[in-house]
Amino acid sequence: MANLSPPAVGCAEHRTQSLVRLGLSPERWDILIALAGNPNVGKSTVFNALTGLRQHTGNWPGKTIVRAEGAFAHRGSRVKLVDLPGTYSLQAGSVDEEVARDFLLFGRPDVTVVVVDATRLERNLHLALQILNITDRVVVYLNLMDEARRHGIAIDATRLERQLGVPVVSGIARSKVGVDELLDAAHQVATGERPTTPFRAVRHTPAVEQAVATLSDVVRTTFPTVSSSRWVAERLLNVDEAVMTAVQSGELGHLGSQEETGKTENVSQMARERVLETAKRLQWDLPPDFHDTLTEQTYRASQRIAAESMTRGLKRAGFDFDRRLDQLLTSRWLGFPLMLVVLATVFWLTIEGANLPSSMLATLLIDTVHPLLTGLGETLQLPWWLSGLLFDGIYLATAWVVAVMLPPMAIFFPLFTLLEDFGYLPRVAFNLDSLFRRAGAHGKQALTMCMGFGCNAAGVVSTRIIDSPRERLISIITNNFSLCNGRWPTQILIASIFIGALAPAHLAGLVSAAAVVGIAVLGIGFMFVASWALSHTVLRGEATSFSLELPPYRPPQVLQTLYTSVIDRTLIVLWRAVVFAVPAGAVIWLISNITIGNASLAEHSVTWLDPLGLLIGLNGVIMLAYIVAIPANEIVIPTVLMLTVLTANIAGAGEGAGVMFELESEAATGDLLRAGGWTLLTAVSLMLFSLLHNPCSTTIYTIYKETRSARWTTIATLLPVAVGVVVCFVVTQVWRLLA
Amino acid sequence: MVDPGFALSVFGSLVAVGIVMFWPGGGIVGRVQRLVAIDERVRLEDAIKHIYTCQRASRRCSLESVAGRLAVSRARAASLLSQLTSMGLVHTPSGGPVLTSEGQRTALRIVRTHRMWERYLADRTGVPAGEWHDEAERVEHTLSAAQVDVLERRLGHPRWDPHGDPIPTAAGDMPPDPGFGLLDAEPGRTVEVVHLEDEPREIYDLLLEDGLSLGARLEVLERTDRMVRLRARGRSWTMDPITADNVTVRYLEAGEQADPSRATLLDAQSGQTVRVVNISRSCQGAQRRRLLDLGLVPGTEVTPELTSAGGDPVAYRIRDALIALRRSQASLVWIEPTDTAATQEAS
Repeated sequence: MANLSPPAVGCAEHRTQSLVRLGLSPERWDILIALAGNPNVGKSTVFNALTGLRQHTGNWPGKTIVRAEGAFAHRGSRVKLVDLPGTYSLQAGSVDEEVARDFLLFGRPDVTVVVVDATRLERNLHLALQILNITDRVVVYLNLMDEARRHGIAIDATRLERQLGVPVVSGIARSKVGVDELLDAAHQVATGERPTTPFRAVRHTPAVEQAVATLSDVVRTTFPTVSSSRWVAERLLNVDEAVMTAVQSGELGHLGSQEETGKTENVSQMARERVLETAKRLQWDLPPDFHDTLTEQTYRASQRIAAESMTRGLKRAGFDFDRRLDQLLTSRWLGFPLMLVVLATVFWLTIEGANLPSSMLATLLIDTVHPLLTGLGETLQLPWWLSGLLFDGIYLATAWVVAVMLPPMAIFFPLFTLLEDFGYLPRVAFNLDSLFRRAGAHGKQALTMCMGFGCNAAGVVSTRIIDSPRERLISIITNNFSLCNGRWPTQILIASIFIGALAPAHLAGLVSAAAVVGIAVLGIGFMFVASWALSHTVLRGEATSFSLELPPYRPPQVLQTLYTSVIDRTLIVLWRAVVFAVPAGAVIWLISNITIGNASLAEHSVTWLDPLGLLIGLNGVIMLAYIVAIPANEIVIPTVLMLTVLTANIAGAGEGAGVMFELESEAATGDLLRAGGWTLLTAVSLMLFSLLHNPCSTTIYTIYKETRSARWTTIATLLPVAVGVVVCFVVTQVWRLLA
Repeated sequence: MVDPGFALSVFGSLVAVGIVMFWPGGGIVGRVQRLVAIDERVRLEDAIKHIYTCQRASRRCSLESVAGRLAVSRARAASLLSQLTSMGLVHTPSGGPVLTSEGQRTALRIVRTHRMWERYLADRTGVPAGEWHDEAERVEHTLSAAQVDVLERRLGHPRWDPHGDPIPTAAGDMPPDPGFGLLDAEPGRTVEVVHLEDEPREIYDLLLEDGLSLGARLEVLERTDRMVRLRARGRSWTMDPITADNVTVRYLEAGEQADPSRATLLDAQSGQTVRVVNISRSCQGAQRRRLLDLGLVPGTEVTPELTSAGGDPVAYRIRDALIALRRSQASLVWIEPTDTAATQEAS
């Protein structure tokens, strides 16, 4: 639900005058509006213009998969607005299309607003005509009129309105042009003030026409309330399962009737069966390419309507600019270098830019607030275990996660979102597709992978842009091979202590940076290998279909992007991480302080895990740290330090059992780790294991939410850790053999 | 500490054992599973299917043909047949085994399962066309009639399998096989392919390589005992009788033309606007619906506009949107030059 941001406070200036926002999901409403449209036509911008909710708008096909809802008041009515996924059609059967279609069919909106891109009228009408076939109550909003004008396209809205038989409002959602008129029209249609006569004249070949007419007669007599018996007949002949089920259950009787009282018993079981039987019988008379011709006829009709209401001028400046930019960004010689420069800049800005705020947050939350809290505990005379559990365990873990995670995400996500809104990211997917195709994956996986460098949980959510089921699963399962923000600090710290030290002082920085980049590149390599292996084994039979639209370039809305990407992506992911960090903090404190015999649970576990750890070049401390730090990679290093002090009995370091800490200087950290028995091999193994281990629990939870499958979640969890154990084992043993 | 040499050799042997046991296709576990799977029931069902196929083609089968088809000894085939006879599924008048009406029903059920599963693979999965038949051969013995009924509902009561064969209904109704063998087509007539036999796989692959697909229109030029000469898509080629025997066709009305020389979207030059003629029949299921919904319906004008830095995919201007298609997809879209392009060429 990353698209559903919490109600924004204080953005009143962005509402149009007649709107008063009510809140996120009101229990009751007077008018239910569904918002439909092709991908990338500014549907979410219309949504935001209406609700002020500022749901994230992306220059990406297929962003809104989970429905977003918003509410406002208009002329005294409470209005609820539901944003449907952007789809090209309603009949191909992809998940988004089913969501959209089912809502139109069974959600019974009072009016459906179809957002149409004025620059691509013909393509957009294809969907609009299909919606007109389902429901009478439609208003068409011609969006992006400014872009159309720039491209020399003029559209006669009145003429279009006459042809479609429903109100057509032209406007520019971005600058709120036509939004009030749209609302008025929607209101009039919803209340029945303004009757509509939707265009439904898609013609068939005589044989098909005969079958459709016969069946729609039967449908009409069985379900007199259904507004489009013809459409139902077509869908039944096209064996649309959802519609068949609706007929069988009698739910279809509700369609088109606005009263809540439509009763299922009205239509007898026998009559319903008769409809299905007739459909089944007629199917044998249809040509096998019935679906093809249906799509063809709808496109033909939309082409005719578009041609009659649209004039194209000669001015094509906008297209020329897009084209020239495209040729540059996808050229054989410059395409890849430009891409590397852009992405490297984003990562550099993220890592460099996050340093200062991260240390400031750490100073504030860990060095200042934590002592204050322990002081408070003493003043209140809390028992030592309670204050330890609360402040040393839970609070510290949370503080660490926030300090390490928040700044890079707050920089990375807005930058990435700006590139996305501008339209550059689809070009990256376009350029890299051939690489990913060979691994059985989708070019868009390049982007979900990049997103994973910010945060794997966010990367997993972003796989929604991939609409082919198999490729989407591949990118979800392999996302963890992207080295996320939570792991970068570990890599950088260990690399500078152990690997930088190998080089002469003036090269140390360079060498350790190269080591970290090497690890990240290795991760990309593993991602490709794993994708290839998955697509050739467990995922071989999953359905696959490639499509990638390259949307026109659009100037990003910088301020709105900053706001929404912080709300949508950063804060939601952070919240999830914090929720998981709380129990982790408690567990870490408890195992360090509960003693059995004369040693703590932690010490017992470390001793027990040590042989296994040594086998793969690590040690018991690191193993235990990775087990208890499943919730967040950010607390691995503090936990390692604390456990090292605890188990190696190093005097004078650390803050006590169960209190995580980090040291100011790298040298001191290095000394402490070496005292704990660390060697260069331990460091290399740790860097490898940090790249190749199970996803953090936030990511695991997100994977489960996205796939709704325990099986894929398990595979996604166990695959990287299995790879990690094998890689660390081989590296360690070969190292020891050669040493 | 464990000796690294020892640890590595243990690891190496574990990996080797794992590969030998579980390698997809050739692993021991897979082989054993397959051996176990070919049990008595599977053999019996295969025998029924063979007899049914013979009858369908108005041929009589024999003990030898059953043994050959099932790759078993004649003695084994005889025992299978006698078992089928005692089950009341087969009776054996002089001239070879024939199915009883009960046997007929059993055969139809197996055929139904097989074709339904092929339809499922074509529509709902990404399994390549060449593998549909083998998968269905395996599954036809494992699904119950009730499961097939559920599958039928989920697929929306399909009537034809992806090779053009009718799927028997649950009640056992099935229209007669359409058309006749390509070997029987009169020279000089134009025919349309209505069925491509998917077995044996080698010949099916040959047919696919030849560019044959359901709905292809061919002109029969010449027919001798040793070959059939055909013409379509601007070229003529010969086919040996064994291969031709696997193609079922029907006559087209006089005046209908064989498929003209046709280019695919792959052949379109950058910047050259072309018109879509059709999407190849070999593209089915989600893939086909997606291409159609993107606007690639007959008559649509398409212009290749942009090649990605990697060379594949290519972005096409389709109904005002820039849409990237992979080469494998573009090769499925038949095109023709637009009128303007044609006149330019002429002038």
